[in-house]
Amino acid sequence: MQTEATLAQSDVSELDLVKRCQDGDTGAFDELVTRYRTRVFGMIYNMVHSEQDAWDLAQDSFLKAWKSIGRFRGQSSFYTWIYRIVMNVTIDWMRKKKIKGGDAEFDDAIQVREIDPASKTVPKTEALPHQAMERGEIRVRIEKAIGQLSPEHRAVILMKEIDDMQYHEIAEALGCSIGTVMSRLFYARKKLQSLLKDVYENI
Amino acid sequence: MKTFEEKWTAWLDDQLSGSELSEFEASLPDKAAARAEKGEAKKLGQLLKRELSAHPLNNEEFFSHQLRERIVRESSEQRSERGRRSPAPHWWTIPRMLWTGTASLAVFLVCMALVMHQERPAEESQYLTQILNARVDPVVSPNASVSMFEVKQDRVTVLWTEGLQSLPADYAAK
Repeated sequence: MQTEATLAQSDVSELDLVKRCQDGDTGAFDELVTRYRTRVFGMIYNMVHSEQDAWDLAQDSFLKAWKSIGRFRGQSSFYTWIYRIVMNVTIDWMRKKKIKGGDAEFDDAIQVREIDPASKTVPKTEALPHQAMERGEIRVRIEKAIGQLSPEHRAVILMKEIDDMQYHEIAEALGCSIGTVMSRLFYARKKLQSLLKDVYENI
Repeated sequence: MKTFEEKWTAWLDDQLSGSELSEFEASLPDKAAARAEKGEAKKLGQLLKRELSAHPLNNEEFFSHQLRERIVRESSEQRSERGRRSPAPHWWTIPRMLWTGTASLAVFLVCMALVMHQERPAEESQYLTQILNARVDPVVSPNASVSMFEVKQDRVTVLWTEGLQSLPADYAAK
């Protein structure tokens, strides 16, 4: 993600910005939005697969962050804190919109029986040649595969694989234990490996 | 105690080390298959990162502008909401109640004084007393009569005398 030096520098100025926000400085909040808007939007887009919805949810998330910035105590990084808001807003919205993981809800208990943890997820099958697939088609395949995951499993795998977040950061952002994060990551990977095996094997 | 899923995930992400790593690898029934699986998981991660990490936010400045406007709008709505909920939050403070009580008591006392003053019966005029106490001499004024009319409401007393031959000089002095 970031080197220690840049992390330390950005943390200092970030805390300063947060303090100014807590004093009602909207300009400081604007600066924080500028820093995180692209990453937040990208994360939400990968969760909901709709630009318009991602835009609206990103707006709602930042607005909620502004309203509750007074309660930010600096115990975690601002990045983790804003991600927690983003995930709450997005997962709530997805639940309301009934965007679920396909026909079957992604239940860990069910998946334990369905997936042998030691089984191979990449059987030798005839796959389409990677060169023959358009970039857009690959993306559609990936989005469909992610669409079969529950909101919580989507969040975990996207934060880990796209944002390179650590287990404890993901746990903080989702308000769950590190063990739950690792367990969800396990099943999300298994599911995506089974759905996208022909795609990544031909990279 | 970590579950198998947690250990497997940590192993895939190279988060196991030392005795934990060696114990876990020793527990795998098919190490070659597990390593192949790990390779597949890495490829999946690379695929996701390559395809999903660069989704642009178009109109970034408009995004911020729209957010600024929403913040301003919601802030003003919150202020007006607070104003509606508490129009006079400090009116009945203890000092204010003391002042109100004192002022009310003063007004009451003034009103009472006025009422009592108004209700006090009209004093008899000294002139009337003087006449009533004076004995009319039937020899000097055999037909003398004194009548008094009083209207309390208007605080007026009319003394009507008839038949007096003369009025004593000290009466006029009163």
